[in-house]
Amino acid sequence: MNIHYYPGCTLKEKTTNLDDSTREAMAVLGYELVEPANWTCCGAEYPLSEQKISGLTAPARILRQVHSEGGGQVVTTCAFCFNVLKRTNVDIKRNPLKNKQINAFLKDDIKIDPNTKTKTTGFPPYNGEVDVLHLLEFLRDEVGFHTIRAGLKRDLSGLKVAPYYGCRMLRPGGGIGIDSPDSPVIFEEFLESLGCRVVDFPFKQECCGSYLAVSRPAAATEASYQVLRSAIINGADAIALSCPLCYYNLDRRQDRIKDAHAGFSGFPVFFFTQLLAWALGVAEDVLGLDQHYYNPKSVLHNQPKTEVAQ
Amino acid sequence: MSKSAEKSRKKEVKQSLIPIYIMGKKHEVPDSLTIQKALEYAGYQLVRGCGCRGGICGACGTVYRFPNSYRIEVGLSCQTVVEPNMYIAQLPFFPGNKATYDLDTLTATGSTLAALYPEMYKCIGCGTCTRSCPMDIDVMEYISRAIRGDIAGTAEASFDCVMCGLCAARCPAELVQYNIAILARRLYARHIAPPAKHLAAAVQNTRKGVFEEGVKKLKKMGTEELKKVYTGRITEPDIADEFWEPEDMTYLVSEKTR
Repeated sequence: MNIHYYPGCTLKEKTTNLDDSTREAMAVLGYELVEPANWTCCGAEYPLSEQKISGLTAPARILRQVHSEGGGQVVTTCAFCFNVLKRTNVDIKRNPLKNKQINAFLKDDIKIDPNTKTKTTGFPPYNGEVDVLHLLEFLRDEVGFHTIRAGLKRDLSGLKVAPYYGCRMLRPGGGIGIDSPDSPVIFEEFLESLGCRVVDFPFKQECCGSYLAVSRPAAATEASYQVLRSAIINGADAIALSCPLCYYNLDRRQDRIKDAHAGFSGFPVFFFTQLLAWALGVAEDVLGLDQHYYNPKSVLHNQPKTEVAQ
Repeated sequence: MSKSAEKSRKKEVKQSLIPIYIMGKKHEVPDSLTIQKALEYAGYQLVRGCGCRGGICGACGTVYRFPNSYRIEVGLSCQTVVEPNMYIAQLPFFPGNKATYDLDTLTATGSTLAALYPEMYKCIGCGTCTRSCPMDIDVMEYISRAIRGDIAGTAEASFDCVMCGLCAARCPAELVQYNIAILARRLYARHIAPPAKHLAAAVQNTRKGVFEEGVKKLKKMGTEELKKVYTGRITEPDIADEFWEPEDMTYLVSEKTR
């Protein structure tokens, strides 16, 4: 079965491991992921000012394209893309003024076929017909966690995993996030369906440092360290997450965290789709585990065989 | 031409005159002219904003509007035929941010584009560039590919670009799309596309002096003889497959035998 899938720019070069593991895992579950034609960057950041609609035209156009291709829903794994697309869609549905402004602008789009140079103009308005789903929601509501559990090929019962939500999957509230912004459970339930042991930790919704990695790197390093440290002292073997920027801060910048904190010696970080794909029996070499700063391969192979009392 | 024929020609021309507005001033011009020829017909001497006159060089990017329309239309003035009541302004030059680089030291990755043109990420996906392209390139599409680090895709999608500058003139994020695109095409050619083996062989032949004798012979020829050789040369037929080769391969490197 085909599902409409918006990967986002980061998954095409910087985190191909997230894209690849998503496709591989979904293929095992019987889904092929189809990207909308001519997709652009979603904008990455929802406009901070309510009045600013220029940042909403790109995500609205992506959703209109999915709609025109017959998609009733579009699935994302990047937490930033999810956040921008979902909030834009909600704006279009709930805010008549923004709906009008966005559609008036997008009506004049020109689409050009690269081969025939045929131009398409005069686009119908988009009124929020497409449901924007994070892959975790799709797995829960469409695939069903029980289906995942029934299809497990590898044992993860020895692995203690801390689910890290970060910000973009949950906030702001008001129907945007994939679960309650205060006490979410969807990630925990997902990991349980893989057979992992779930580790709760107080920093699971704290910010990883986000774009401060660019403007104030030391502050981002500290924020990331606190998240990792919290997972470690709560007994986790690894962190699972969904956001490419969280991955960048929590894994790819571990060299800087080591420099800042002598006691820190590195910690495995997974995309949730890598754990899903691995549990479903996907070949290890297509998961892109060697792209990580801390290669998390070893914890998959060296899980404790028996339950250890805590 | 006889006087009466001259007269009738003038009459014919006069009958098909249409009004256009060049930088706001009204002119009557024959309706069969391109914008470029109409400018000259109206008395303008084109020193800049005019190059090959064949739609290739991209020097004559032009914007125009019709009364009662909010749409800005674009074209190359050497290719676009005038229409009644066009309000026309040519864009003889538009300043563009251009990075300098040593192609050999670069890698064909998105990070290279990002380092040389970081403003690329200011793109908000409005699509104005695509609406402003006289070559019917989906400019926003190739910028999207550049943003996601797809060098080969950017090179391919931007291939028809003539670098007229209209996209950059209209971009709210102040990107210079065509310079990003040509960097992608250069990176593609230098680092991704497989090297053309027959080119290397041809260069080697030149170094070995394969052409010396032939050039010497040509130099000795008089004008008439040269003309004869030139017009009698073998050229590729209009319809030929990619494996076509002339019979005489003395100076060429064969794709088949190399």
